[in-house]
Order: sequence, then structure tokens, then C-alpha cells
Amino acid sequence: MTARYVAGRIGQAVVVLWAAYTVTFVVLYLLPSDPVSILVDTAGGAKGAASAAQVAAIKAEYGFDRPVPVQYVTMLGAALTGDLGRSVSLGTPVSTLLEENLPSTLALAVVAIAITVVAGLVLAFVATYVRRPWLRTLLERVPALGVSFPTFFIGLLLLQVFSFNLRLFPATGSQGLSSLALPAVTMAIPAAGMLAQVLVRGLSDTLGEAYVTTAHAKGLHRLVVHGKHALRNAALPALTILGVLVGSAVTASIVAETIFSRAGLGRLTQQAVLAQDIPLVMGIVVVAAAAFVLVNLVVDLIYPLLDPRVVVSRLAVRAA
Amino acid sequence: MSFEQSHAPSRRSFLGLTAAGSLAVLLSSCAVDPKTLEADPAAGTATSAAIVEGGTLRLAFTSDVYGNLDPNQNFWIESRSINRNLVDSLTDQDPKTGEIVPWLATKWEVAPDAKSYTFDLRDDVTFSDGTKFDATAVKTALDGIKALGAKASLGATYISGYAGTTVLSPTRVRVDFSTPNAAFLQATATTTLGILSPASYSKTPEARAKGDYVGSGPFTLTEYVQQQSIKLAKRADYAWGSGINANTGAAHIDALEVTFIPEEGVLTGSLTSGQIDVAWPRTPLSEAAQTSVKAAGATVLSAVLPGLTYNIIPNVNGILGDPAVRQALQKALDRAEWASTVFYDGYPVAKSVIDSTTPQWADNSSLLEHDPTGAKALLDQAGWVAGSDGTRSKDGKPLSLTLVVGGPWAGWDLVQSQLGEVGITLVQRVVTPAEFTTASNSGDFDLTATYFTRGDADILRTYYDQSVVKPGTGPGAYNQEPQTAAQLTTLFAQEISETDPVKRKAVFADIQKILISSGALFPLQDRVQTAATAATVHDLKFTLESFLRLNDVWISK
Repeated sequence: MTARYVAGRIGQAVVVLWAAYTVTFVVLYLLPSDPVSILVDTAGGAKGAASAAQVAAIKAEYGFDRPVPVQYVTMLGAALTGDLGRSVSLGTPVSTLLEENLPSTLALAVVAIAITVVAGLVLAFVATYVRRPWLRTLLERVPALGVSFPTFFIGLLLLQVFSFNLRLFPATGSQGLSSLALPAVTMAIPAAGMLAQVLVRGLSDTLGEAYVTTAHAKGLHRLVVHGKHALRNAALPALTILGVLVGSAVTASIVAETIFSRAGLGRLTQQAVLAQDIPLVMGIVVVAAAAFVLVNLVVDLIYPLLDPRVVVSRLAVRAA
Repeated sequence: MSFEQSHAPSRRSFLGLTAAGSLAVLLSSCAVDPKTLEADPAAGTATSAAIVEGGTLRLAFTSDVYGNLDPNQNFWIESRSINRNLVDSLTDQDPKTGEIVPWLATKWEVAPDAKSYTFDLRDDVTFSDGTKFDATAVKTALDGIKALGAKASLGATYISGYAGTTVLSPTRVRVDFSTPNAAFLQATATTTLGILSPASYSKTPEARAKGDYVGSGPFTLTEYVQQQSIKLAKRADYAWGSGINANTGAAHIDALEVTFIPEEGVLTGSLTSGQIDVAWPRTPLSEAAQTSVKAAGATVLSAVLPGLTYNIIPNVNGILGDPAVRQALQKALDRAEWASTVFYDGYPVAKSVIDSTTPQWADNSSLLEHDPTGAKALLDQAGWVAGSDGTRSKDGKPLSLTLVVGGPWAGWDLVQSQLGEVGITLVQRVVTPAEFTTASNSGDFDLTATYFTRGDADILRTYYDQSVVKPGTGPGAYNQEPQTAAQLTTLFAQEISETDPVKRKAVFADIQKILISSGALFPLQDRVQTAATAATVHDLKFTLESFLRLNDVWISK
């Protein structure tokens, strides 16, 4: 039963990946330009001396001269065998670019998510645990603040204080742990805010349930009731949000990597999209979609462990 | 594909303009303003006694567009700035006067028909892989640039009409063209025609783009990670810098480390907090940024980039086909307000369609005066009547122009309001860079904008000669009415075959005047390269084309 479920979910994952790949391909080909024209175009519009024949030669080199359906089938076929093609704007194989940029973004995402989870959890826990109404209200408002600030603003603020004034962390670069701190916190603040918001809501609801009252009546310590009984149930919606946050880490990293001049998939994505670099955008989409699919699969598999009421069959329906 | 029309050979008879001769002529003729190299006189002008040897200069650019480090292929300021320190050129161009001076070539002769150039070469130059620089290396390089085809989109315009190179002796070489190319001498001073070692040309263009080549410059490339970092190390045995440099030998600094910081605030913050030594932004540092870096003891250097000014370019196949509308637009622009508002007080105001540091520049400020009353009168006469809300129309057709731009910018809002004052409605169509290329090349605009850096006015021919730029290849194919286009094509044919700098400059004076008075271009601003340097950095220099030059730079402790 479970094996069949997992196989089904993997099948779905493959379909999602294929769909993401195809939709991206269609969108990129609907755009009114092509990467080679952009490449040979010197700033401001003069084609220089690039003759039509010379431009055609470069297009043929990348296979852009063939009919679009043929290009699609060829690209998809090559991608299935692990060949993601060569970036038009950078001239480098896409797989090399991904290898160069993925570790840095992955490190950033892992640290940012770790901070998100810890900060979100602590904040939500404390906000619902304290008894003074004014403090409780204040703490419950904090996550909204984190969500409301634009990432861009948070990043520049952190830079100004912790790099330019206090000089504790480097402003730019991707070398070492210290360069991770500020961008990771920048990414984590809105994410933690979002997570805490959902968690606060979940905890508040759960704490009003009858089984919590029962637990209190049994004489259990408040901390145990709060942290074990209530949190476990309240965590379910938060887990879904966390899955989304992890999955969208690549998107979130675009802003952080730009502000902190870090190498990574985020910056690469921005560059690739602007240059309409079809092979590179496709490669990044595959990676980002794979991350999303994988994380959601993991979340779905964790669900039943947290809440025995959730059964696999129901999940299958939900996921479909 | 041929870009020049064939035409009558040069009318002049004198043969073989030598280097010395051309210098004298240029010196007497150049009215180029000396470049403002130092905005703050405190820095620079150091005495050689104080120079400190050693150290690593940490510099940050805005971005590494296209991540291409091959001088023969790239055309962005940042990569050309790095290239200038890795590769040498046959000649150099004096930043103060625009004159062409010896470098790898000691002297040269230009045939009177501008179709043949003979260079005498230095005999003491080696590439960093140990290979000797000689006539064969020059031939291999020029043939290699030709072979790049469309991948050398800029270089191809510099060698347009290239027929071949003949090795006359190890130190003498002749370059021949099938059509006149009077701009080639200046082209030999650029990084674009920088000479790589012969072995470099056996590598693929993609490998060269990633830095897999060797030059004879004062630095060698030690690391290049696209869009992340560039590292250069000095060549201890370098001894053939051009006479423009105070230091013609090995560089004072040991190494250069380059990073890329896209945000201006982060760039200047990194400088003031001591994390970098030089901030080299793509667009001029804002007034606020300049104030903040100066407060921290840094110096702001600036230089006007030669080449095309930032020009608004019309499409005469729409409403702008009415000459009165173009004239009115020319008068409606307040360029002084533009310079001080969009940039800062003291920012150079455009006086022609090429920047003031271009050797063939002519002051056309009398044709570019702000005259809203005159603009309104012209529109009234042409039948564009103002309605109750101030906007104009003719036979029910509103006077509304679409400006296609590659990104939002406060500057366009100012243009919008300046044109609005005389009753012209400007609609901004902001598109992605990818769409911008298509729209501007296919003429899908009423107005768009162009610019390009080159230390010779021939860049006007590259962009606006309609015998060169055809529909589909650039906005210059749509900005002239047929009689103007014919007139300009004749003049461009004259300048490209004119080897006398004085006469050539006179032809360019006519070209500039016609481009402005016919309303084929609406200059907005001179373009400025700024660089902020920490207090410890001395003698950072710009080339004539305002690229980075490290020969003289040194770092105090």
C-alpha cells in the first residue's frame, strides 16, 4: 500500500517536472526575441557588422534554426540523458553553471531555513505561552512585521548596521560561513514571520480544544501540554507552509544574492531571464521544480507521522 | 558583407602619413577638452619618490555582463577595462588630446586612400607565455578577429573592409582593406583589436571568452569565475608600456582582485567600510553616493566617455515623419535641467551627438538650446493644435509618442514632463532587455535611445549610416528621411576615406550638424564614468575611452 503510494507520488513528481519544463519552453519561445540576437547586439541597438549569415551560423550552432517542435523534442531528449545544453549568454555548459552555483544557494537555503524554523517556532511558542495579555498581543504582532518588510529593505538595513557600521560581517561574496549570515537572516525574517503567523494561529486554535483541557486536568505541566500535545497538532499547517518556503528558496535567493553580491542560482536566474538564455533558464527551472517536488513529497510523507488521523489514501486524494 | 559603399579614392595626394606627422596635425587640430581625471585635486599627481610598490588592489564593478573576457569579442566597459591591463595594442590614444601614439607599433604609414596601413613593430616584446611578439602575431590576431564573424560584433565594425595582412618582415606588417577605413588607426588603439598570442587563436572562441588566452600586457589573468571574480597578477618583466603612462615598466601593484556588486549602496558601503579599494559603477555615482564616499575620505574620479552621447532616436515612419514635430522636440528638451536633475550639479550638458571627449567633437550647443516658446510656435504652424488640457492634436490625431526603453528610469519621467510642457504626450513603454533588442531593431517605436563608447566619431557611421544599418539591424535604420540619409551617406563615405585628421574632423562637423538640425537625433547627456577610490589609492588612470588603466596606480600603506 505504502510502496504503491510512494510510487504514485513519484509518478506525479515526474509529471510536474515535465509540465514545468514544457510550460517554460513555450513561454520562452513566445517571447519576441531570441538569445542570439541579444548576444550579438552591441549596447543600444546597432548590430555592428554581424551579417544575417553570421548570425544564422551562431543560431545553427545552438540549434535555434530548427523548427520549434524539433527543438523541444531534442532538448527534452538531451535533458533526460543529463545534457542540459550550453548557455547562450555565457557560453558555458548549463550543467557546469548549475554545479558552480548550486552549492552556494543550497548552503544559503539550508541556513536560512534553519533560522526560519528556529525563529518561527520560538516566536510562536513564546507568543502563545506568555500570560500577560499586552505582551501576548505584542508578540503575536511581531510575525506580521517580519512579513511586511520587503526583503530588499531588510537586506540593506542589515548591511548598513552589521557590515558597514559594526563591520562584523562581509558585505559581499560567497566565501566562508561569515558571508552566509546576513543573506540567510535576510531570507529568514519574512519566512519566519510567515511560519510564526501560521503556527500562532494553529496553537491558539489547538489550545482551545477539549483534549488540551483534559491534559491540563490530568495535572501535566503547562510546558509539556503546550510543547508536546498542542504543538504537535498545530504544526501540521505550518509544515505545509514550510514545504512551500523551502521549495521557493531559489526565488527568495534572487533578492538576497543580488543585494549581497553572492554567487548562486538566484543571481544566475535573473541574468538568464534578462538575456532570454533559453537553455540556462530551462536548466534552472528543472532544478527549482525538482526541489519543490522533492520537498513536497517529503512533507506529505511526514504528515502521517505527526498526525495518525491523516491516512495515506486521503493524502493521495489531496495531492491529486 | 560589405559595409562601406565603394567610392572615389581620396582626393588628396600626400603619401604616407607618418606617426610623427599625424601627431603634429592632431595636436594642432584637436579642440578636445582635457579629461577631468581628478574631481578632487587632493588625490593623484603623486611624486614618484613617494610611490609604494606592492599590494593588491580590490576593485568592484557593477556586473559582469555576458561573462566574456576575450577582448576581441566583448564590448562592455567592465570587461574592456580588465582587458586593457591584460593585452597591449598596436597604438595607444592620449586621453588628453585624443592623438594616436606608438605602443607595440613604433611608427606607421597610412596610404592616402585609407585602404592600407603599414606598421613598424617593437622587437623587444613577449607574450606572457614567452612567445615573441612579431609581424606574424599581428597577422594571426587580425585574421583571428575576422574569423570570429558575428562573435566579434564590435571588432568587425573596426576592421570593416578587411582584406588581409601581409608580413613584410618580422617587424613590419601591412594591413589591407578592400574599402577605405580611415578609422582603423584609432581602432588599433582599442582593446577590441588587442593582440593576443598566436597560440591563443587556436583555442575556441568560447575558451577565449573564459580567459583562456595570453596577451603581452602588464598583468596576467590568474583566475576568472564568470560573474563572480577576476584576479590579475603583475608581470614583473613588463617593459613596453606606451608613452602615455608615467610608468612604462612593471606595475607598482602586485595584483588586482575584482568582484561584482550590483547595488550602488552596497558598492559605496563596501568602499567606505574598507572592504574594497575602488568602486567602479556602471552608471555615474549619484550625488548622495558621492557625498557619502567623500565623507569617508574617498576620492571620486570622473571622465567623459567618448563616442555617442546618450541620444534619443526617432522613427520618422510615424508622427515623427513631420519635421516640425522633430524640431519642436529638439527645442522642448532642457538639457541643463536634465544634467543637474537626473545626475548632479556640474554634470556635463550634451553639446552634440557625440561626447565632448571624442576627438572629432564639435560644439553644437547653439542648435540644442531650450526654447519651449519656439517649440510651441513650430507645432502651432504645423497644425498641431493644443486642446483644453494642453495636449496637442491634428485632424483628430493626438500628438502622442511612444518611447521604448529597456528599464524604468526617473530620467524618462523628466523627458515626459519637458515634452508635456509644449503639448507633446510621451508614453513610456518599458520592456525587458530582450524585447528592447527586437523593438529597437525592427523600428517598433516612435522614440528609443542609443549610446556607445568609442574614441573616434566613426561610431556615428556604425550606428547611423543607412548604407551600414539596414532595417532589422538597428534603430539607426529609421531615424532619417531619404534626402537626409543620402546626404549623410555621402559624408560618411568621405570621412571614412579621409586620412587627414583636420579635414576628417571638418566632415564630422557637418555630419554632427545635420544629425541635429534634421532632428535625426536628440542628444540628452554626455556619458560619464565615475570611480570612487579609497584614500590609499593613488594615480588610478582612465584611458581615452575611460577604461581602467593600472600601469601607474599604487597603494599607500
